[in-house]
Amino acid sequence: MLEQQLVNGLTLGLIYALIAVGYTMVYGVIELINFAHGEVYMFGAFLCMMFLTVFGAPLIVAVLLSMVCCALMGVLLDVVAYRPLRNAPRLAALITAIGMSIFLQNLAMIIWGSRPLPFVKEALPAFFKVTALSFGDVKISWMQMTIYIVAVALMILLNLIITKTRTGTAMRALAQNRVCASLMGINVNRVIAFTFALGSGLGAMAGIMVSMFYNTMYPTMGYNAGVKAFAAAVLGGIGSVPGAMFGGVVLGIAETLGAGYVSSPYRDGVAYAIMILVIILRPSGLLGRAVTEKA
Amino acid sequence: MPGKGLKFLGSVCLMGLLMAAVPALAEDVIKIAVPSPYTGSAAGFGENVKAGVTLKVEEINAAGGIDGKKVEAVYLDEQCEPREAATVSTKIANDKAIVGIVGHLCSSAHLAALPTYVREGIAAISPTATSVTITDKNKDAKGNVWSFRNVYRDDFQGKFLAQYVDKAMGLKKIAVFYENNDYGIGLKDAFVKEAKALGLTIVGEEAYMKGAQDFNPQLTKMKGGAPEALFIAGYYPEGALIVDQAKKIGLDVPKFGADGFDNADYIKLAGDAADGLYLTAPFLAETAGPDAKKFIETFKARFGRDVDWMSANAYDATAMLADAIAKVGADRAKIRDYLAGINTADKGYKGITGVNYFDKNGDCLKPAYVKMVKGNAFVPAPKQMD
Repeated sequence: MLEQQLVNGLTLGLIYALIAVGYTMVYGVIELINFAHGEVYMFGAFLCMMFLTVFGAPLIVAVLLSMVCCALMGVLLDVVAYRPLRNAPRLAALITAIGMSIFLQNLAMIIWGSRPLPFVKEALPAFFKVTALSFGDVKISWMQMTIYIVAVALMILLNLIITKTRTGTAMRALAQNRVCASLMGINVNRVIAFTFALGSGLGAMAGIMVSMFYNTMYPTMGYNAGVKAFAAAVLGGIGSVPGAMFGGVVLGIAETLGAGYVSSPYRDGVAYAIMILVIILRPSGLLGRAVTEKA
Repeated sequence: MPGKGLKFLGSVCLMGLLMAAVPALAEDVIKIAVPSPYTGSAAGFGENVKAGVTLKVEEINAAGGIDGKKVEAVYLDEQCEPREAATVSTKIANDKAIVGIVGHLCSSAHLAALPTYVREGIAAISPTATSVTITDKNKDAKGNVWSFRNVYRDDFQGKFLAQYVDKAMGLKKIAVFYENNDYGIGLKDAFVKEAKALGLTIVGEEAYMKGAQDFNPQLTKMKGGAPEALFIAGYYPEGALIVDQAKKIGLDVPKFGADGFDNADYIKLAGDAADGLYLTAPFLAETAGPDAKKFIETFKARFGRDVDWMSANAYDATAMLADAIAKVGADRAKIRDYLAGINTADKGYKGITGVNYFDKNGDCLKPAYVKMVKGNAFVPAPKQMD
């Protein structure tokens, strides 16, 4: 049973990790907790469903289109809601983020209704249901394998972008000192927009995979996932990308083991208790380092 | 001169508003309030209630209204949140044009709004709130009941289901899953109590929160106890996922649920795993009379989905309120007295959900039916309890 619970926890954790990097990157660059990120994740699932049903796109195309749309949505969020407040007190931007979250949630309800919808079954390849690996009682389906592979691949790609490309270097420069970075000729607004695009695209992928795996999507799904991913980002050290990934996996496994072995009503409690413990012992989070070294 | 321009614009708007308000006043309508969640996570249920009320109100108005006055339903959103419900209840009580209430949908919201209704003296009929606690809180100092319901209570459902599992199905080892709120806990407690009294074994009790998507940890744990059946005290959005995930981990046993599962969306969400669910329902389309058949068809044509029990109950609750208004006039206190007087089956209102009448606590005495999902459709279960 322990092995099965670990597999369950890993699936959940990798999804949290994908959402958490979106929080942590934005925080790293502009020190804003983008509470509307959970809603972008939700839109990812719904847009993918729409591309599949309304336009009849093949799965891969629908997934990519949805990621692109959500990336644009992330940029739009920044331009419309956060950029005008860039030099305002931080609380103003934070409240705006919560406002955008409520706005997007209700927008989704107007467009798609408030009833939960299933994922488009016909669009899923048949092999997803087949067991990929099994040791004894433990079974891992191809659907789960796909989540693992996609999540890990995306995170490796993200790390490459941040460490090897010029834009990535610019992002890190911005995280260290925005004024200095702009004096060095970095187009600050463009780099911030890129950060939002990157995080939102990954969030969309997480939303799509969750809706496939659990076969459901609803306009308020972003809230719970968003809070968990935010906790994961804090656990790993907010601002640190590897920290968010690691934090997501730790939180997912802690939650699953908490539900399986401690007490199911306290499943979230167990996860958050671990987060609190870590923060008390290591205020910068598991992988968070000195404040100046973010992203 | 922007100031003058604005003033002019303002007065035009004001005039427009006044003109819009005049016909509404002149027409003289009878207002009923329908407080339910229309946004938020329970909005899907709110839509069901709204659909049922809408059909009844349109029917009444098409037939000329009540004493020549049109009936207008005022839909107030309380998001299934107690704090919102408390605000909405004051709004309803203060609007003297509103003579009665169909709602609330959620038990917790209903409980938060009840004190206002009892104090201000306006009668409510809830088509859906099944919590046991309502019975203790719906009376004023004189013992007059102000909140009625045409749905049974959770303890009745829970007890009934335990008996069904034992007597009709002959299953002895049950795992219990419940949503961690008033509804889920009340239902679970009643079920477990009766199950133990009948000598059944409960091999695990696991909770989950509303909006949860991942039930694998709890199910994995339950599977260790080798249950013969799974009882889920909750609603269909989570229930469908539980059923689906149970099948995926190889826990393929009959599932039991209550009214919270009675929604066509369950089958869509649960997909291949939907079959093998048994549930209690206050309304069974197949055994319904000709009036109900007509309602079912109209509903499908109008809303493009199959009718659910909430819509049916809301339809009947609206009809009872309209009946009361027609008999005693648009007077809040007299409407209450009239509703309280519907206390035997003979005096009961014969609606599409059967005979609706209230006991001295405002609770409803209605039988439960058992439905099951077979071949991806809701069908009456082969065995019904007497």
